[in-house]
Amino acid sequence: MPESSPFSLAGKVVVQFGGTGLLGRALVDALGAAGATLVVASRDQATIEKGIATGRAAGRSLHAEQVDITAEGSVAGLRDRVLAAHGRIDGLVFNAVSRPMRNERDSVAAWEESIKVNATGLFITLRTFADAMAAQPAGGSLVNIASIQGMVGANPFLYEGTAMGTVPDYFFHKGGMLNLTRHYASLYGPKKVRVNVVSPGGIYNPDKPQPEPFLGRYGQMTMLGRMAEAREIGGAVVFLLSDAASYITGVNLPVDGGYTAK
Amino acid sequence: MSATFAGKSIWITGGAGYLGSAITRALDAEGAKVLCLDLPGRAEALVREHGLQSTVPVTLDVNDAAALPAALDGLVAAHGLPDGVAHLAFASSSGYRLENLPATEFQKTFERALTPTFVLCRHLAEQMKVRAAGSIVLFASMYGVVAPDPRLYAAPLTPNPIDYGASKAAILQLMRYLAVHYGPHGVRFNCLTPGPFPNPAVQSAHPGFVGELAKKTALNRIGRKDEIAGPALFLLSDASSYVTGHSLVVDGGWTAW
Repeated sequence: MPESSPFSLAGKVVVQFGGTGLLGRALVDALGAAGATLVVASRDQATIEKGIATGRAAGRSLHAEQVDITAEGSVAGLRDRVLAAHGRIDGLVFNAVSRPMRNERDSVAAWEESIKVNATGLFITLRTFADAMAAQPAGGSLVNIASIQGMVGANPFLYEGTAMGTVPDYFFHKGGMLNLTRHYASLYGPKKVRVNVVSPGGIYNPDKPQPEPFLGRYGQMTMLGRMAEAREIGGAVVFLLSDAASYITGVNLPVDGGYTAK
Repeated sequence: MSATFAGKSIWITGGAGYLGSAITRALDAEGAKVLCLDLPGRAEALVREHGLQSTVPVTLDVNDAAALPAALDGLVAAHGLPDGVAHLAFASSSGYRLENLPATEFQKTFERALTPTFVLCRHLAEQMKVRAAGSIVLFASMYGVVAPDPRLYAAPLTPNPIDYGASKAAILQLMRYLAVHYGPHGVRFNCLTPGPFPNPAVQSAHPGFVGELAKKTALNRIGRKDEIAGPALFLLSDASSYVTGHSLVVDGGWTAW
């Protein structure tokens, strides 16, 4: 029987883009705990180094790398270093995100900056690494981290009475991520390269909690009555990276407490 | 990894069938306490044949919806309330061509596919909600999402019938309704939505058909039965604790392009 455990990445080399934020750190923890040899790449290598120190001391195979996803040469260089150091690339997690827009009225320049990182950077990264996986007999698995804000619009009711709000670019590039995922799933499927997307709902931030009126209202928008904990996203990502998901490709897996099911 | 299911009790209806047996065996290997529910003799044979260690074979005919609550109560009394249930046991295909399908046979598919599923889900979820935990996984199909292409089914094959896909679409909506209803009580409902997993009899009798099915997927192959086990374990486990109301498609990309 092939490996059916959705909880093990033992023996797999995985590259994660973005690892300094709340979700990124939780993913590093989940992937490391599942036994992956994990390379975490970010603009900010020093912060990654600091973040993985504890896991490394505990014996996990965690490695920090620097990358600029808007530069094709930088992404290709990262691919080459990973192949040189670890021999192959079994998995990729695209969790990099840039949020240059601060509100709905922000400048066109801020929109353009967002597209450069979030759209162009995604495209460069996926094509570069899917090509590398397609050249391997065993193929590989890519998991993009989108958001339910790539599936549905935001309900303004959530933000009433708070300083919180929405930005337009996020809805655009997370929605685009969903169909770019399907496109590459089709293109690379015959090469045993699977491409899927995980769409988290809102994640509770224990270090800097969202304001109370928002938390209560967000809970009402889900069927489990609460925001996600960051650690709850990792299960879906580990599962899709693992061989337990070997017949799953082109899928969007929301981890949203039923937000989009109703 | 066995820690994930150690001490957990999982019921699988249709647990000795083609796909069900792959899930039963994977859960047994992970150390779950498994109740394998199937028609007379089938679960016993599976346990014997594969030397399953923590699986209890049980005979249950889910088609008798009126008798189902009492049968479930008996199982709960004997084995305790399950932490998770995978429900695969529903015969849900008339086997008729559209032109020849009698209305009575059309209706029968819905009675067999939907009514026992509704009764089983409500009966167990009402008890699970008291302890605010539980995960129930229903089985839909890609044919509850997209229609079968009749050109795939050359004679003597009968195109996958209309009652099958319509009842699978109904299962998807049943699942969403139950997820929304029981979510506030901590009970999760999701569907597994398989693509082409023809059984060995179809595979050996109709290799040309299997080749046509493979071409409809991005991975260019049909699914292997073991490939349904991992997704089932994911949805049954705490690794999916914030996933509810979802149809997890396992179709090699059939519906992605």
